[in-house]
Amino acid sequence: MKRAFLIVIAILTVASVTIAQTGMKKKRPLPFEYGRVVLNANSEKAGLAPVVFDHWLHRARFTCRLCHVDLAFAMKAGATGITASDNSSGYYCGACHNGERLFNGRKIFASCAKKSTPEDLKRCGRCHAQGRSAKRDSEFAAFTEGFPKERFGNGINWEKAEADGQLALADFLDGVSIKRKPLTVPKDMTVEPKVAEMPEIIFSHKKHSAWAGCELCHPEIFVGVKKGATKYSMTEIFDGRYCGACHGSVAFPLLDCQRCHTKSI
Amino acid sequence: MKKNLTPAAVVLVAAFAFVAFTASVKPPFVSSGPAYAQDDWKKEFDDVCAGTQDAMLFDPEKLKELVARCDALEPRIEKLDGSQRKVMLKRLRMCRDLYRYVLQSKEGN
Repeated sequence: MKRAFLIVIAILTVASVTIAQTGMKKKRPLPFEYGRVVLNANSEKAGLAPVVFDHWLHRARFTCRLCHVDLAFAMKAGATGITASDNSSGYYCGACHNGERLFNGRKIFASCAKKSTPEDLKRCGRCHAQGRSAKRDSEFAAFTEGFPKERFGNGINWEKAEADGQLALADFLDGVSIKRKPLTVPKDMTVEPKVAEMPEIIFSHKKHSAWAGCELCHPEIFVGVKKGATKYSMTEIFDGRYCGACHGSVAFPLLDCQRCHTKSI
Repeated sequence: MKKNLTPAAVVLVAAFAFVAFTASVKPPFVSSGPAYAQDDWKKEFDDVCAGTQDAMLFDPEKLKELVARCDALEPRIEKLDGSQRKVMLKRLRMCRDLYRYVLQSKEGN
């Protein structure tokens, strides 16, 4: 009896130490799921399924800046608190999804309506799709066919796809964006890693600012004004701070070390 | 009948006629007031925040001026309704925070 009790205690101790060290193991998302955001600030309260937003479809057509600066979408899922009224007034999703704006000669379907007919409810299901997004895998495969491949994330090298002319990202939305001069790109910079023998990071302002502009990262994500003033660790980055605000959720994930730590030793 | 009117009555009738006329006729600048005011803040917003791409090129004086214009614009945007207020406040704050950030970086240097 005493022996059995000791065995149970030993098993519980080992199990709790293991869980404490590793936490809950996260399932790595499939390529078509990478960058998926589920928005449920108001959906279920309104009796609808949460919205499933796949970044891959939108990031292939628009810059990050257009949606996260000009349309004011927050960088954290659910933090914007979008309502049907916002959309039907022409803000957030409704800035494009208004049933009138054209994309490639086709009208973009309208987001939330003030009154819903049975036909409207079918349309609601295009976004309020959690639990019934079975077709997304095949849609993703067809959409990204011919794009340059990568190892992680969506499995697509978006940067190369744009450089090769397979994508042309819109950065201006008529009636919403401000007409601006072309961006003045700050110089690239190196970031010294804390770990010895780890190659330095070459941070390209050009690559980042072309998609994100300036105000998307500064000062909300990168606060420090002097180079090297903000100290950040990989633990914080894996927690979704600093580079991890995008890399790990939408941009190529942090597993792809060599895409940042690029300077030869 | 006319001869019986006293000067005071004439003044009263004239004053009444004037008040009635001004109340019934709204000159264009009155009716277009709110619309003008709305365009006014949007124009100012577009003007101030069009420079975020060039923020690094501005000298501290210019950046201070832009921050001050953003600060002055905020109470006007606070008065807007619902969705427009929510969206425009966030956009304005991102714009102002960037100018402040660049200003600090320049003053620090």
